Amino acid sequence: MFYRQAGIRYTSYPAERQLWPLGIERVLMGLILALALIAPALLSPLLLSSYLLPWVIWSIAALGLNLLMGGAGQIHLGYAAVMAIGAYSATHAARAGLPFELSLLVAGLASAVIGVIFGAAALRIRGLYLAIATLAMQYIVDFAIGHIPAISGGTQATVATPTPRILGIPVEGPVGGYYIALVVCIVVTLFMLNLRRTSFGRALAAIREKDYAAEILGISAFRYKLMAFWTSSFIGGVAGAILVFCYYRSVSPEQFHLETSVQLVAMVIVGGLGSVLGTFLGAALILLAPLALSALVASLASSGLPIGSDLRAHLPLVLYGALIVGFLIAEPLGLAKLYDNARKYLLVWPFRHARS
Amino acid sequence: MGDISTAAAGSPPILSVNNIEVVYDNVFLAVKGVSLDVAEGGVVALLGANGAGKSTTLKAISGLLKPERGAVTRGDIAFRGESLLGLDPPDRVRLGLVHVLEGRRVFEHLTPRENLIAATSMHRDRRGVKDLIDRTFTWFPRLAERAKAKAGYLSGGEQQMLAIGRALMTEPKLLMLDEPSLGLSPLLVDEIFDILRKVNAEAGVAVLLVEQNAAAALDFVDQAYLVDNGRVVMGGAAATVKANPDVQAAYLGGGHQVDYAAVKHYRQRRRWLS
Repeated sequence: MFYRQAGIRYTSYPAERQLWPLGIERVLMGLILALALIAPALLSPLLLSSYLLPWVIWSIAALGLNLLMGGAGQIHLGYAAVMAIGAYSATHAARAGLPFELSLLVAGLASAVIGVIFGAAALRIRGLYLAIATLAMQYIVDFAIGHIPAISGGTQATVATPTPRILGIPVEGPVGGYYIALVVCIVVTLFMLNLRRTSFGRALAAIREKDYAAEILGISAFRYKLMAFWTSSFIGGVAGAILVFCYYRSVSPEQFHLETSVQLVAMVIVGGLGSVLGTFLGAALILLAPLALSALVASLASSGLPIGSDLRAHLPLVLYGALIVGFLIAEPLGLAKLYDNARKYLLVWPFRHARS
Repeated sequence: MGDISTAAAGSPPILSVNNIEVVYDNVFLAVKGVSLDVAEGGVVALLGANGAGKSTTLKAISGLLKPERGAVTRGDIAFRGESLLGLDPPDRVRLGLVHVLEGRRVFEHLTPRENLIAATSMHRDRRGVKDLIDRTFTWFPRLAERAKAKAGYLSGGEQQMLAIGRALMTEPKLLMLDEPSLGLSPLLVDEIFDILRKVNAEAGVAVLLVEQNAAAALDFVDQAYLVDNGRVVMGGAAATVKANPDVQAAYLGGGHQVDYAAVKHYRQRRRWLS
């Protein structure tokens, strides 16, 4: 009903290429943005700092990974290592007295430089072989961080992050951290949304579809694969820095192990490769579903259902796995495709289908 | 428009497609009313412009719509009197219907012989498989010459022969071909059609052919259907279709001189047909 394109006649190319041609989607976007901005006033501090804040931060990281996996078609199983590099370099830069804004930049650059070195492997190998090469990055970075006291402060050590200062003003508490994360998230989201409208984004899509077909069109696979790793690692580094500054407030090696990398890949795949909306949905499902399911099982148990303590610990995990598998069987292209199906249905409603 | 049903009186058709509608991704309507019959041992062509719905029709028959997020939403497809809807592609092959995909799709890293053997998963006795391979090599002597090369290194024509030969290894009653002439020289096209004629005569395999090369196809088949805009708009004996002035103008180049008035006339009429 609200999904109507009737009467839309473009008179310029920018109008035709606008991000949200449907009025209803512009309204929805505005609504979501407004809700995100006033969320600290609406939500309890607990909800804000343990649900919304991590969701926003992990979405930034998953967006960066989606640039690489969905945008350029290169798999990365060591993305948590990229975030770790950003987290540690930002922490040390800030502790050395650099302003927070510059520390974020340092985080991005450090991750990008190291990420691109491992990304160079993608020039020669693809698919499962690249997965192994990036897995190697995860282990090498884990090892380096753990065994170089200058970085981690020794094995098992935790380095506290200084309070972030924006333009010299200290930003404290979960609300301040939330707004920092939200601003970065908005910037990264806008970048990702606009990526497909740039020559860079189109070059990445060409490489994703068939890299040798891209080469014969004059797109240097060498250059654009490295650029994809560079950009994606930059975003990952910034996300890692935001994560430790605004959420954990300290940095330690076990925050960025392989499990985290796998979770990030799961977010991207469950959400939908190459989809910005899907990345947010995927991050929500992977991150928030375990918490919600635990709460559900706990409330069921306390309401008198015969759920033993053993079952109570494991049932949420079982349901979580079933949920992910269920969503992927229902829609192999991810959560974003579910919205896309509904959108296409509403666009042709009340007719059953359009001429292709 | 005339009588669309072309099944020979008396013998029931081996394949009967009854007014099917195909929708991709739940939204895009690709085929909106295709009906056709293939007689036992008959040779039938499905002609039409690009995007008319010919390949989609073949995929609906062989069951390959699912991976492309398509579905038959109306109508029925019956093979030897039995509905195919609801059967998986491998089950349809077991019933005796095989689809040669557009663009060949040989297994590049296997040799031609291994390609052929790969298509015999449902045969249990080895002697039978050997006979089938010999039969295929007799029809396609060129494949026998190159039996030990990797299929990826065969020429385009040889790969097409391999794709057809591989399909014949399943001992089909109906062979569906999607653009066998794609990218081949006219001489090779003739050679492939000659072989198909032999296969049809010797093994009694019915053929359903989708072709852009309308002239070559109409010389080869007994019956032809014309698909336009997702519908069958004309059907009949190949000679009748070939003689039709609209077909002459729109698909056969109108003889030596293109008659633009006739093409325009056809386009105008086409609006009423679809």
